[in-house]
Amino acid sequence: MVLQNVMDRNKRKEEEYYLASQWTLMRRKFKKHKLAMASLWVLGFLYFVALFGNFIAPYNLVAYNSKIVNAPPTKIHMFHEGKYIGPFVYGIKMERDPVSKRKMYIENKDEIYKIKWFTHGSEYKLFGLIKTDIHLFGVEQGGVVLLMGADSMGRDLFSRMILGSQVSLTVPFAGAIISFVLGIIIGGIAGYFGGAIDSVISRIIEVLSALPTIPLWMALSASIPPDIPVVRVYLYITIIVSFISWTGLARIVRGKFISMRKEDYIMAARIAGVSTWKIIIKHMVPGFMSYLIVSLTLGIPGMIIGETSMSFLGLGIRSPATSWGVLLQEAQEITSIAMHPWKLIPLFAVIITVLAFNFIGDGLRDAADPYK
Amino acid sequence: MDRKESIVQVNNLHINIKMDEGILTAVRGVTFHIDRGETLGLVGESGCGKSLTCKAILAINDPKCSTSGEILFNSDDGVVDILRLPPKGSEIRNIRGKQISMIFQEPMVCFSPLYTIGNQINECTRLHITKDKKKSREISIEMMKKVGIANAEKRYDQYPHEFSGGMLQRALIAMALVCNPKLLIADEPTTALDVTIQAQILELIKELQKELKMSVLFVTHDLGTVARMCDRVAVMYLGKIVETGPVEEIYLSPKHPYTIGLIGSVHKIGSKRKERLYSIEGTVPLALNLPAGCGFYDRCQCRIDGVCNVKEPEPVEVGPNHVVSCHAVGQKTGEEGHDIE
Amino acid sequence: MRDYILKRILMFIPTVLLMSVIVFFIIQLPPGDYITSYVSRMSAEGEVFTSEDIARLREQYGLDKPWYIQYFKWMKNIITEGDFGYSFAYNRPVWTVIMSRLPLTVTVTLIIMIFTYLVSLPIGLYSALHQYSVGDFIFTGIGFLGLATPNFLLAIILMFASFKLTGDPLIGLFSEEILREGLKLSNLGSFLKHLIIPIVVIGTSNTCGVIRTIRAQMLDEITRQYVLTARAKGVSENTIIYKYCLRAALNPVVSGLAGSLSSLFSGSTISAIVMNMAILGPVLYEALKTQDMYLAGTILLTQGILVVIGTLLSDIVLAWLDPRIRYAERSS
Repeated sequence: MVLQNVMDRNKRKEEEYYLASQWTLMRRKFKKHKLAMASLWVLGFLYFVALFGNFIAPYNLVAYNSKIVNAPPTKIHMFHEGKYIGPFVYGIKMERDPVSKRKMYIENKDEIYKIKWFTHGSEYKLFGLIKTDIHLFGVEQGGVVLLMGADSMGRDLFSRMILGSQVSLTVPFAGAIISFVLGIIIGGIAGYFGGAIDSVISRIIEVLSALPTIPLWMALSASIPPDIPVVRVYLYITIIVSFISWTGLARIVRGKFISMRKEDYIMAARIAGVSTWKIIIKHMVPGFMSYLIVSLTLGIPGMIIGETSMSFLGLGIRSPATSWGVLLQEAQEITSIAMHPWKLIPLFAVIITVLAFNFIGDGLRDAADPYK
Repeated sequence: MDRKESIVQVNNLHINIKMDEGILTAVRGVTFHIDRGETLGLVGESGCGKSLTCKAILAINDPKCSTSGEILFNSDDGVVDILRLPPKGSEIRNIRGKQISMIFQEPMVCFSPLYTIGNQINECTRLHITKDKKKSREISIEMMKKVGIANAEKRYDQYPHEFSGGMLQRALIAMALVCNPKLLIADEPTTALDVTIQAQILELIKELQKELKMSVLFVTHDLGTVARMCDRVAVMYLGKIVETGPVEEIYLSPKHPYTIGLIGSVHKIGSKRKERLYSIEGTVPLALNLPAGCGFYDRCQCRIDGVCNVKEPEPVEVGPNHVVSCHAVGQKTGEEGHDIE
Repeated sequence: MRDYILKRILMFIPTVLLMSVIVFFIIQLPPGDYITSYVSRMSAEGEVFTSEDIARLREQYGLDKPWYIQYFKWMKNIITEGDFGYSFAYNRPVWTVIMSRLPLTVTVTLIIMIFTYLVSLPIGLYSALHQYSVGDFIFTGIGFLGLATPNFLLAIILMFASFKLTGDPLIGLFSEEILREGLKLSNLGSFLKHLIIPIVVIGTSNTCGVIRTIRAQMLDEITRQYVLTARAKGVSENTIIYKYCLRAALNPVVSGLAGSLSSLFSGSTISAIVMNMAILGPVLYEALKTQDMYLAGTILLTQGILVVIGTLLSDIVLAWLDPRIRYAERSS
């Protein structure tokens, strides 16, 4: 009896092994890629923070305080004169260096501002819907908490970085979707119709991919009119950034369409009287879906770096909106880094995000070929 | 078995492959020998460990495979155990290609696309016979002619993609035989070819074997080919040899239920029209975490519950040179071989 | 082979023509033109322009026509007179502006390219042959970091580090001494010193990319059936690796040559702006900002053409390396 059970279980396992669908196999293989799995968690965290950004950031994008221009990160204390009073910050006092006459900030030990959880602050709309003024944390009236210091206009870098992530993290996604749609449509048209249409499209793609990306982007970004709303700037940047992927995707789709038309199972479907559209949607696209997703994911790091570069040069996202690239503009000068090293913090956000996407892309690429 | 007589003697060969899912026991105690000038057929379904066994003889299996047992080869310098030689060392390289050669399944992927066929055949000659370029070229072209490549001088300088599948297989055979090896391992040399070409290639191997007086290990899943090519047959199932014997014996009175099934599943000319072609139920199980007992238990029609699923069968000699590993046969030793009807 | 090269060169012409159309189209996209930005700048300084003045200026520069007419005029001048237009901002013909920077751009790019392959080939090979070893992990780790760090920021960090260590941030390609006295054998060392950061900054992401390609290709080639065949012949491991695998793994590296060139132009553009290098990137940036369209267009087109030439060369090398391509060409 027991033996029979064991054998049945073995048999079932075996059947699962042989009958598992392509996607199941991919998921299984992906899960084994430890770096990719860890990256998935890291990205999940980053996107979670971006989603609740307005709530987590203690300040909003426009809040500034001329008294804290270029102030370093504030220290969070627990003990005041040896006595535990819970997390708090001291007030900030500006002084001049007696020798260099440079501005410097020191802690004013007379002023104590306690850190409060779920405190009231500036008003915002959570997810753009719910109006509220509750923030995750803040300090008592009169004090400031600067986890990552302040910028040259006296704005909290931590808040700006979190709010900037809403742009920096969504641009590549929107770009990926645009690439995907453009790639499938344009590549599909070229591959399906062939002939003159195909050669014209192929040539254009060839030329577009021969032009170096950054100069091309710069030229395209320069064409964004100066006085348009933030949302439209965002849209334009997304479209420009999608240039890094869609040409490649279109090329893949075109190639696959051409080679698949000759495939036996497509021929069989055609002979069986299946309609053209159904052949494309049901039989052809799933055949290279995994391939497309992988190359899309591998294109995302380029998009992030692209957006950052554009914004860094002042050709991308502009104020009042912000992104990591915009924040890094303040790190353009060596002197600025020497004196305010915290301004490089957004760089680490960029690096971590790009690395995470790279690892996920690698994991997906390995997984996409589950039989290997 | 007299070692002087046999060219190679494989004893208790085990091959384990480390996989993500666990350790796959691909070959589980294979023992066989091949005599001088003899052709041994190794028959079995795909995945039963035939190819791994062949590659083990040349020590060219992937490093992921861990191999144990012994493979005694009667080389030019006396008997050596191939498994004891360092797999990248010069001793084994002196055996490969010169004393033992191998022909692979798919000739189309066996040549590097970047070098001419001549270059790749010549490489063998230059390594093992002569360093002289002109002479080795002559030897190579001579061999190409022998395997039936027309216009060999011109073909010598052509690239693999300019050859058809059948021609490539001939070139592969030329490459394998150019150093006049003692043992040729032919791993399903005709599966990737057209039927008409298959027959030509088989004839070619047979002729060359006679001419060069080689021993051949002929691996296939096709029993028809075995009958045509081999002196003896070893039937492999799930990493074990379940039955071995002279080719007529195996065909006329197969003993192991698996062999019986295999022979039953071949269509014979002259059989009655209404007779159904026999097929063995189920598929070869995955050799991961194998249960105790006989590997064929699940699919066997003669299984004895309580015996076959508990203990592995031991080999039993049922006739001259005819050995079977089966409990059902073991119990009836001396009786008539059972039939499936 | 000769027919193949000839065919490739013939295909080069329509590609470049199409490229010029696309480039010109992109360059004229921004609303307004050089006159608009010129007038607004001059007005800020107190100059007064009547609308007639502006119209006259437009006519003088041919900016009053639709873009395709401007394009044909531009093309006609390029083909008949080699005249790439006039740079409004520099007040000089575009070609002289570009020629003042092109030789240095090409030199720097080539030096970086050579560096890239000198470094990445051995590392990629090592990583593939010692897969999962400590060295492989270190190189792969550096490779990932190099791909993930935007190179303009790497530039800033390195300049900062150089400033901290030596007191000289190594800004620009030439020290003041060279600018004063010109490049001589005696100050070649100083020039090379100034090349270190650009090479590292611009070359890194490309180097990392090539390392990954070679590693992946080698790992792929090693599992091929022909490797097993060669081994069964008694060929030594070294011969297998160098004669068979490496040679095959080089093909995608060669075909990626043009892509490398393109990514070097990309990388050098922003880095050059940050590091104040006297190559074409910063000029393009300024030209785009001031809508100096012929200058911007010609720079973009020059870079594009150089990449297309790179593609052409790599195609030819590839055909020479890979008999299958030659064969396909001959039989078609």
